[in-house]
Amino acid sequence: MAAKVNARTITDDELFFGHKACAGCGGSLAVRAALKVLGPHAICALPAGCMSAVGFNFPQLCFANNAIITPFAATAAVLSGIEAGLRAQGKKPEDCTVVGFAGDGGTADIGLQALSGAIDRNDDILYICYDNEAYMNTGIQKSSLTPFGAKTTTTPAGRNAHGCLTQKKSLFEIVAAHGIPYAATASIGYLPDFMNKVQKAASIRGAKYIHVIAPCPTGWGCGVDETVEIAKEVVDCGLWYLAEYEGPQVSGVPGGKVTLNRDPKEFTSVEAYLRRQGRFRALTDEEVASVERGRDEKWRYLRSL
Amino acid sequence: MIEVLWHGRGGQGAFTAARLLGAAASIADGAYALAFPSFGPERRGAPMRAFTKISDAPIGDRSAIDRADYVIYLDDTLLDASGEAWQRELKSGGRVLVNSVKRYADERIVAIDANGLSTEILGRAIPNTVFLGALSVLCESVSEENVIEAIRQYMPAKLHAKNERIVAEARERVLARGPQGGGEVAGAAGTEARAAVDSARSSEGFEGSERFGGPESLERSETPGTPESPEPSETPENVSRETSRVADEGGHAGASVSETPDVMRACEHIPVLRSHFVAPPSLDPAEYARTTCYAAGHLVAKNAGWRNERPVINAEACTGCLQCYLYCPDGTIYKTPSAAAHAADSRRSQGASAPVAVDYDFCKGCGVCAKACRFDAIRMIPESEANAR
Repeated sequence: MAAKVNARTITDDELFFGHKACAGCGGSLAVRAALKVLGPHAICALPAGCMSAVGFNFPQLCFANNAIITPFAATAAVLSGIEAGLRAQGKKPEDCTVVGFAGDGGTADIGLQALSGAIDRNDDILYICYDNEAYMNTGIQKSSLTPFGAKTTTTPAGRNAHGCLTQKKSLFEIVAAHGIPYAATASIGYLPDFMNKVQKAASIRGAKYIHVIAPCPTGWGCGVDETVEIAKEVVDCGLWYLAEYEGPQVSGVPGGKVTLNRDPKEFTSVEAYLRRQGRFRALTDEEVASVERGRDEKWRYLRSL
Repeated sequence: MIEVLWHGRGGQGAFTAARLLGAAASIADGAYALAFPSFGPERRGAPMRAFTKISDAPIGDRSAIDRADYVIYLDDTLLDASGEAWQRELKSGGRVLVNSVKRYADERIVAIDANGLSTEILGRAIPNTVFLGALSVLCESVSEENVIEAIRQYMPAKLHAKNERIVAEARERVLARGPQGGGEVAGAAGTEARAAVDSARSSEGFEGSERFGGPESLERSETPGTPESPEPSETPENVSRETSRVADEGGHAGASVSETPDVMRACEHIPVLRSHFVAPPSLDPAEYARTTCYAAGHLVAKNAGWRNERPVINAEACTGCLQCYLYCPDGTIYKTPSAAAHAADSRRSQGASAPVAVDYDFCKGCGVCAKACRFDAIRMIPESEANAR
């Protein structure tokens, strides 16, 4: 296993540069950090979503890597095809990771079937879901990873409803339930943790999945300079968690093994986290309390794994 | 028919302004107006256009405006270098209005420091309503009363007072320099900027900006207005990406642009990975085939114009922890040669350069770096202040 990566050891190369993402974009930070770990021989596939819209503004092409845009639903299928093609031609360098960057909608809603298929085939691919909790590229519509109470254009906040009515889908558990060799959750607020998970994933043969929380100042209603701070806070308050799943192939444990990388004894305030974002503005104190109860239940479950 | 073409970036309120202008112009009996936007994939900061058509008869033509009486740039980086685009878009006798602290030699261009003015009154740079005020002076079909009335009808009540002040202030500034004159209409910051730019220009000479670029280079494509107009990015802290990289990465080894390896010079408009200044790629076909992906990216436009504020690094307070470098969403903070020295020697000498520097050509000014810094070594300063230096 290679040495841990950090700001000092990581390459100076910028492989995702000059892109047209909003100032303070969390998703672009996730792509940039992952590519710095994977290096120039990684091949990227991106479905419709912010990162493909901001990275390929012809003639402004912002990936130093080979990168292609896939149909919305096909990220994982295209990854499978790239990997098989490289192998068939005998042109796959040792350090070539075939990596996909899809948003929450492109992963949990539209691309879920292709992802499930690729995991089932155990193709040698890395799928990274940068989760900004709504379809931000098209102007903020709810996805199945939008959390309860978040205002989007399709879950407006008004007198009768206070934003999103459903709970965030537990995608990490869904992916882990496939018995995938490696799955992890991360946050751009804890970037070294994320980068080391990317490095670990790249060293494993077979299907890998990383789910990284990447706040979107435009859609979350927070300051452009708060992206990283909020991404830390969502972990600190317990509404997101840093975990790893190693399937039987990697851990040798039947059914696989879950590790909580961070298990805080005390959480910071859920209310403070929610109240600083415009999208949760309509939530009542009772609803905030229910989010907090949901968090506690989730952690009881996570700690039991 | 009077046609107004708005160039802006997502989030600057170009469409709002286009609509308010149409509303203002159509308040009077027998007046008609049409307003609509045009944009690609929505992105806060991305270039977009909006259109206002004003007429005393119903308007049947709902297509985009090709040639306008007023072409308005809410962001001066959108104003093209050669003048070709705006001259093509401008009807004869028309005016270009641009949000800028710069000076433009062409008298058809009226520059207004709308960011400065709106920041003074709103606390944020939202330049759109400044131009409603300006148009109410320049365009006969738009009166001040009707602009105010449109603001009252179409904007939330809490924004009325401040935007009315912006309109009044903008009118004063335009009137102060005469409705027919070109040139610039700037606040105090603009005057200082001009002085700084003038001095930078006289010491460097205009040829300076031509050194690194052919017609395709970033430098030229970003120079706004006419060739006579001074370019603030000539000031030392604003040196171009190519220059700063060579100076910072290769410079200490004695490299200059002319010594840049051929493979890089052949594609100057293509970003070169920072590591190439240390170890240029081999041209051996077996090796080079594996490295062609390096040149896959192709950058033709900077992102500097998205920014209202910029990070400034205090070299003495900086400890070289590299958190700013790590967390920059745009990868615009890079390690300087002194980064290694920093790591080796924690007691650094006074006046040493900081271990990190900012690529101001691509920094969007989000401020994530300033928040990530635990040593208060990064301060965000307004662009107008930076330009005035």
